Amino acid sequence: MQPNINNMIFSNTETIPGMSITQSLGVVTGSTVRAKNVFKDIGAAFKNIAGGEIVAYTELLQESRNEALFRMLNDAAARGANAVVNVRFATSSVAGGAAELLAYGTAVVAQ
Amino acid sequence: MAEEEPVIGLIIVAMVLLLTIGPWLISIIATFVYQPGQKKKLLARETAFAAKGDTLTTLKKPFGDREIKEFSMVSANVVMSPSWVQMWIGSIITLFGGEINVFTKIVDWARREAKQRLREQVAEAGYDAVVNVRFETTVMSRTRGGKDRTSGVEILAYGTAIKY
Repeated sequence: MQPNINNMIFSNTETIPGMSITQSLGVVTGSTVRAKNVFKDIGAAFKNIAGGEIVAYTELLQESRNEALFRMLNDAAARGANAVVNVRFATSSVAGGAAELLAYGTAVVAQ
Repeated sequence: MAEEEPVIGLIIVAMVLLLTIGPWLISIIATFVYQPGQKKKLLARETAFAAKGDTLTTLKKPFGDREIKEFSMVSANVVMSPSWVQMWIGSIITLFGGEINVFTKIVDWARREAKQRLREQVAEAGYDAVVNVRFETTVMSRTRGGKDRTSGVEILAYGTAIKY
């Protein structure tokens, strides 16, 4: 059964406003390792000459981070949680040209 | 024939100059004209928002006992890259140590941009404030010749947007 994550509540605060946490279900994580698009990389290499924002990378990381968040929520839903609190993001560069994006938090049951 | 040879030679010299000095010229112009221009635009956006007071806070709860009606997690990111000229200046300063001013400026700019994007995003969605703001920094590198070269610094700002 595909867990339903549409109604999942997530927050990076320790509590959920207006709700009380009744049960903690442990740490949930979601991660993705992404490599950069070769063609975008060429564009970025040119943009490197001038400096400033590299829009292609900004968008790439945004997309990947959403994917990591999605996986984390799936993990939480599979455990029977209806909320994730204290969500944190972490990023690290794995080898040249690839980045790992991690989202983690505590899965809880809130009422 | 004798007249054509110098022309071809000139074209070759011009091409070589264009390919070697060209990018550096672009880099110098970008560093001293394009980048300050972008920063000026950012400052204008910041001052437009500053009048209402900063909506971002690193506190876990907003001040006071106001009831929170709605909340949502929000994030904003930006990848900033130093220009060739700045990388070159940076590598020279690295030899002597001390503060690398050019990099400080780039990272500071990126962080301001990320904060401003968060403010704009939240204002657009109709939220009143953002609590528990956190920053995350990542170095994006590009491998060339077995050596990792910095191609950009990513700044992520995230927090919980709230509506009273």
